[in-house]
Amino acid sequence: MSHPDEADLALIALGEPASAADAAHLAACSRCRSRVDQLGAVVSTARTITDEDRPVAPPAAVWEGIVAEAGLTGAQASVTSLDQRRRRRGPVLGWLVAAAAVGVLAGATLTTVVGGTGGTGGSDDAQLLATAPLEPVAESAYQGTAAVEQRGAESVLRVSVPDLPAVEDGYYEVWMATPDASTMVAIGTLNPGEEAVLTLPAGMDTAAFPLVDVSVEHFDGDAGHSAVSVVRGLLPA
Amino acid sequence: MAALALHTGEQALPTHARSPLRELSVSVDPEAAATAGFARGDEDALEQSYRLWGSLVHTIALRSVGNEADAADITQAVFVSAWRGRGGFDPERGALPAWLISITRRRIADHWEERSRHLRRVEAVAAQSPDEPVHAPVDGIIDRVLLADELERLGEPQRRIMELAFFQDLTHTQIASLLDLPLGTVKSHVRRSLDRLRTRLEVDRVAS
Repeated sequence: MSHPDEADLALIALGEPASAADAAHLAACSRCRSRVDQLGAVVSTARTITDEDRPVAPPAAVWEGIVAEAGLTGAQASVTSLDQRRRRRGPVLGWLVAAAAVGVLAGATLTTVVGGTGGTGGSDDAQLLATAPLEPVAESAYQGTAAVEQRGAESVLRVSVPDLPAVEDGYYEVWMATPDASTMVAIGTLNPGEEAVLTLPAGMDTAAFPLVDVSVEHFDGDAGHSAVSVVRGLLPA
Repeated sequence: MAALALHTGEQALPTHARSPLRELSVSVDPEAAATAGFARGDEDALEQSYRLWGSLVHTIALRSVGNEADAADITQAVFVSAWRGRGGFDPERGALPAWLISITRRRIADHWEERSRHLRRVEAVAAQSPDEPVHAPVDGIIDRVLLADELERLGEPQRRIMELAFFQDLTHTQIASLLDLPLGTVKSHVRRSLDRLRTRLEVDRVAS
């Protein structure tokens, strides 16, 4: 007996009508019935989710409390200890270390990009301060590069993520964030197929916001981060 | 310039970087790295675990006890006791978030017990003990928060597809035309995402 496609069983679990053949199969096959029941249980639970069930980050004081109470060495129990510690020792997360490992490759690409557009976007007196590969977030398949340049008195962030598709009813926003992404500053938009050259706000301490993030935003009037990121990278201190 | 707090700080960090295009740089799964490091007693792994699952623990506590101060206390206590008791954590036997959730469950129960003791002292009548009906609702809360948390970890367009299917009751045909995606793409995203949500629920929902 050949079983229906798993994707069709998933749709049935979501409440979509089964085809006549699938319905007949389900009536006869307990394996497929229990599969639909299993997925159906997930669907019914998911449909009871309210806004209050959405993840809420704990207040910053909680981490300080953990550091103090657990007696962590090398961590000071102050609000900024997390960031300071990271900046001093470099990235602590595995994925950031992994990102750094491929940084050489991406860096080389970036040089080409910067060099290649030198005649248009990049001016001759631009001084490259830091570059970072941008790594895919979650199941995004995209990657790109970010670079901070000094151009006279201005700091500029250049961001390039090749192959980004257009966003339905939306756009890509570039952010710079603290290493733990708890505070994010919107820098500007990135159009698919283009390199964004974004002037950073004067007086912004880029070292405090080394995490470059590109998010999907919608034209919904909500100025906050959508929490949907496509790529991220950490600029070296 | 406006500094905007991202309401789910750690949620947007990569959690499942497994795009086939990027095998070179995705050899480190942050959840696996945090789990292994935690068991070894690596302090950075505690920090990473907090970033990965702090919101999950906090939200379960917040939904269960209903006030921010107690939820913050419970979150702190969960990570501190997980860290102190890490000798009892066996990565072979279960995932770290499952273990954190089981500790959260106990802390919430402790919270209610302490409160009912307090009430009994105050009222000197133990007519109704308010801690009785707590356990069943906590299970429901954990399931919902776990799924909401995993939904946020789905990439796009998966998350949008699932939200339309769950909350707007759209069929895959309607979703495909709304998002301008091929039918087959929507179907396979639905299948994989639903399976991923189911796994998350099964792996991390620890029976009390």
